Amino acid sequence: MEQFVSTLFNGLSLSSIILLTSLGLSITFGLMRVINMAHGEFVMIGAYMTYVTQQIFTSILPEGASDIYYIISIPVAFVTGFILGSLLEKFVISRLYGREIDSLLATWGISLILQQAARSIFGTQGVNVTAPAFLQGGITIGGCTFSFNRIFIIFLVLFCLLIVWVIMYKSNFGKQMRAVMQNRPMAQCMGINSRRVDNITFALGSGLAGIAGCSVALLGSIDSTVGQSYIANSFMAVVLMAVVLGGVGKLAGAVLGSTIIGSASIFTENYTSSTIAKAIVLLIVIIFLQKRPQGLFVIKSRSLDE
Amino acid sequence: MTSNENVLEIKNISVCFDGFYALTDIRTNVKRNTIHFYIGPNGAGKTTLLDIICAKTKPTSGNIMYYPKDKEAKRLTGMKEYKIVREGIGRKFQVPSVFVNLTVLDNMILSIKGHKGIIDSIFKKPSKKDLEDIDKVLKKVGLIDKKDECAGSLAHGQKQWLEIGMQLVQKPEIIMLDEPAAGMGKPETFRTGEISKEIKKECTVIVIEHDMDFVKQAADIVTVLHEGKILMEGDINDVLADKTVQAVYLGRGGEG
Amino acid sequence: MNKLLKKQGSNICFGVIVLILAVMPLLYLRGVMNGSTISFLGKCIAFAVAAMGIDMIWGYTGILSLGHGLYFALGGYAMAMYLKLQSTGGKITDFMHTGGFTELPLVWKPFLNLPLSLLLIMLVPGVVAGLIGYFIFKSRVKGVYFFIISQVLTWAAYSIFIALSPYTNGNVGITEIKSIFGSIKGSSNIGNMLLLFYVALLIMILIYALCRFLVNRKFGKLLIAIRDGENRTYFSGYRVSNYKTFVYVLSAVIAAIAGAIFVNFNGSITPSQMTISYSITMVIWVAIGGRGTIIGAVIGAFLINLSEYNLSSGAMVEIWQYIIGAVFCITILFFKGGIVGFVKDQLPAFIASRKRKKNKGEEVPTKA
Repeated sequence: MEQFVSTLFNGLSLSSIILLTSLGLSITFGLMRVINMAHGEFVMIGAYMTYVTQQIFTSILPEGASDIYYIISIPVAFVTGFILGSLLEKFVISRLYGREIDSLLATWGISLILQQAARSIFGTQGVNVTAPAFLQGGITIGGCTFSFNRIFIIFLVLFCLLIVWVIMYKSNFGKQMRAVMQNRPMAQCMGINSRRVDNITFALGSGLAGIAGCSVALLGSIDSTVGQSYIANSFMAVVLMAVVLGGVGKLAGAVLGSTIIGSASIFTENYTSSTIAKAIVLLIVIIFLQKRPQGLFVIKSRSLDE
Repeated sequence: MTSNENVLEIKNISVCFDGFYALTDIRTNVKRNTIHFYIGPNGAGKTTLLDIICAKTKPTSGNIMYYPKDKEAKRLTGMKEYKIVREGIGRKFQVPSVFVNLTVLDNMILSIKGHKGIIDSIFKKPSKKDLEDIDKVLKKVGLIDKKDECAGSLAHGQKQWLEIGMQLVQKPEIIMLDEPAAGMGKPETFRTGEISKEIKKECTVIVIEHDMDFVKQAADIVTVLHEGKILMEGDINDVLADKTVQAVYLGRGGEG
Repeated sequence: MNKLLKKQGSNICFGVIVLILAVMPLLYLRGVMNGSTISFLGKCIAFAVAAMGIDMIWGYTGILSLGHGLYFALGGYAMAMYLKLQSTGGKITDFMHTGGFTELPLVWKPFLNLPLSLLLIMLVPGVVAGLIGYFIFKSRVKGVYFFIISQVLTWAAYSIFIALSPYTNGNVGITEIKSIFGSIKGSSNIGNMLLLFYVALLIMILIYALCRFLVNRKFGKLLIAIRDGENRTYFSGYRVSNYKTFVYVLSAVIAAIAGAIFVNFNGSITPSQMTISYSITMVIWVAIGGRGTIIGAVIGAFLINLSEYNLSSGAMVEIWQYIIGAVFCITILFFKGGIVGFVKDQLPAFIASRKRKKNKGEEVPTKA
């Protein structure tokens, strides 16, 4: 029982990181039909930003005060991700409009460059951040230890989720975004600058990946491939979302998909072989697809293949 | 075997998209070797009807019977789309969809009746007769000079004709044209009308169209759809004279 | 002359590549070139073969699959298992000992036999690809969705392979094996090396001929038709999912053959060949060489691997990643047809427009 609870807790915190990354992936996919293969690298950038912030703060601030670095690093990681994402969209993705597969390959090229850049700047050895004092340790309830950093991650993600929800469903920009998602030409006719919506959405997704990087930094060492290890799970979550829930780009879908994948991978790591379990999840996905003979999208009636 | 003069019997077809009935209890028959027009204002369910015939959309209820010449009658509902094409029902879509990176000739070769399996596509070359048939059809649709050009470089109207040609070369029993004259000028539209009449000799033509001149030029039978129901069916003159039809469709300045 | 060049251009180009490759071992015999270069060229031949398979499925049919690293590795492992058993004389290996086996596991037994092993090299990936392809294409999954699913599949297979380390030696892979004709290392084994090299070259020629044959038939046009208008192809009466599955299996088998060639030259196989990034690397070759042309895949595979071989030593190793990333990006952005597309379409169009400009003395917008 104790083991079960602590597994559940670990699963929850991993799920929340996966959620942050797959959230960005899925809203950009829902909007532009583009999968950003460099998304994992934005996670890496966020993690390195945390490291850099820590280095700067410990060098200029006295011992006790430098702990606030972590609080600062979250907006820093977000803004860096946001700006880089915006640039990537402007200079690469927007030029490949209507060529989804190509834009996906182009982002892979970007990811190669970013990984190498990380190696050139920070070296091939992993670096570590020290969790600030207020996140060290944990509380023990009935024999189960809940570490503060994991609790913090869960709340951080919940907070981000809330913000995204407000942006998507309550703000004016969110309205525009959903309008473009549902019917791009119509939205353009209504005077919505869909290019700008694309750009900001993409940047937002990248910024979220940056924040995910902050969380990742708390859990382990950071190297140039740290993003890749998390992103595979996120892709799985996106697949699950697309297949089971029939819609990518929906907030609820992202939450459910990530929770399933995250919990599944932690649970199975503890109880069976994790890889076999993932294969089973995949098998379920493929079987599920058989139930949808029309495919994931029903083609439009008047024209084919547009 | 059947000596039925209907080639297609559409029986009680209804389609429901998330609670919205695009078609309600449609009953209509298509006679052999006629040009049968389905007209109606936007959203009347014309394209949906074609979608159901060629199995792009599944009907919620009802079925469609198909009576090919000298063959057993078949139930179309529940068949896969490529099978329906092989049974002899071709469709031209509203937005021209030809293979833009292939030549006109290649487009036609891909459409020839038969040899649709993988092995055939690797080892069988089109026979002399096939190539002659292609030339014949290309002459009919006026694209014989463009035979070796890339289909992507054709003008809009020519693409429409090429797509009609691609249907013809399959020697279909029924050919369905979804707004063949969309985006065409008067002379091109007239030409399309003449092509349809030409086609009628060999098969049955089902057309969806808005252009009333085109309807007058080519129609044998006209069915008017309105909000997913059949308003009336009959001769073009009867239809034009009908008061309800005028009210829902023609009366709204739909002459053009 | 011009017409001939246009029609036979890729065959001529391929002929030149084959000739150059055929001469290389002679340079080696003369001592101008060292053995490791020859064996590297052998690996390049394997890469070119794999690239042709990728081109069939991606360049022609428009299906981007990230599973081909997996098929490459499956072929490679099948070959390596046979070769490993040759070197142990049919006895069980050290890693199986460590894994707790006392006798040869059942899955290894068929690899005692050469013809059976050669068959399995093609059969195993073919069946895997057939099953995956059948179910996925039947449900009309395509485009980005297929991409994601193939990526996740590859990744799952990779994890499983590592988890089954008593059978596969996990992360280390199968190492210390000789080629199918015996050791190719050192000057005493020149004969083996040359034999292996020419056999690989012959396989490359055969695969090239097969691919060219297929794409020049109606089959090839149909692949393009599927790429440009899948639904239209359905409505022309073709069972598109069968065609897709067929091409998918074909390219998987080609990748597996490439993997088997690779192992012979490389002397080992590791799960790193199975990763997603390795699969994309193969796509990069095709993209830069020129998708949709078989010769483009061959050119891309040789060009990039040779550049990497020459550049990624010493100080250049850092820069190489930047170069390949940037070149790939630029190719996708501005030169969709890769090198071959540039030479065949963009360059003549550019020259023609320049000529027109000169003749008329006015601005002619260039269409790039």
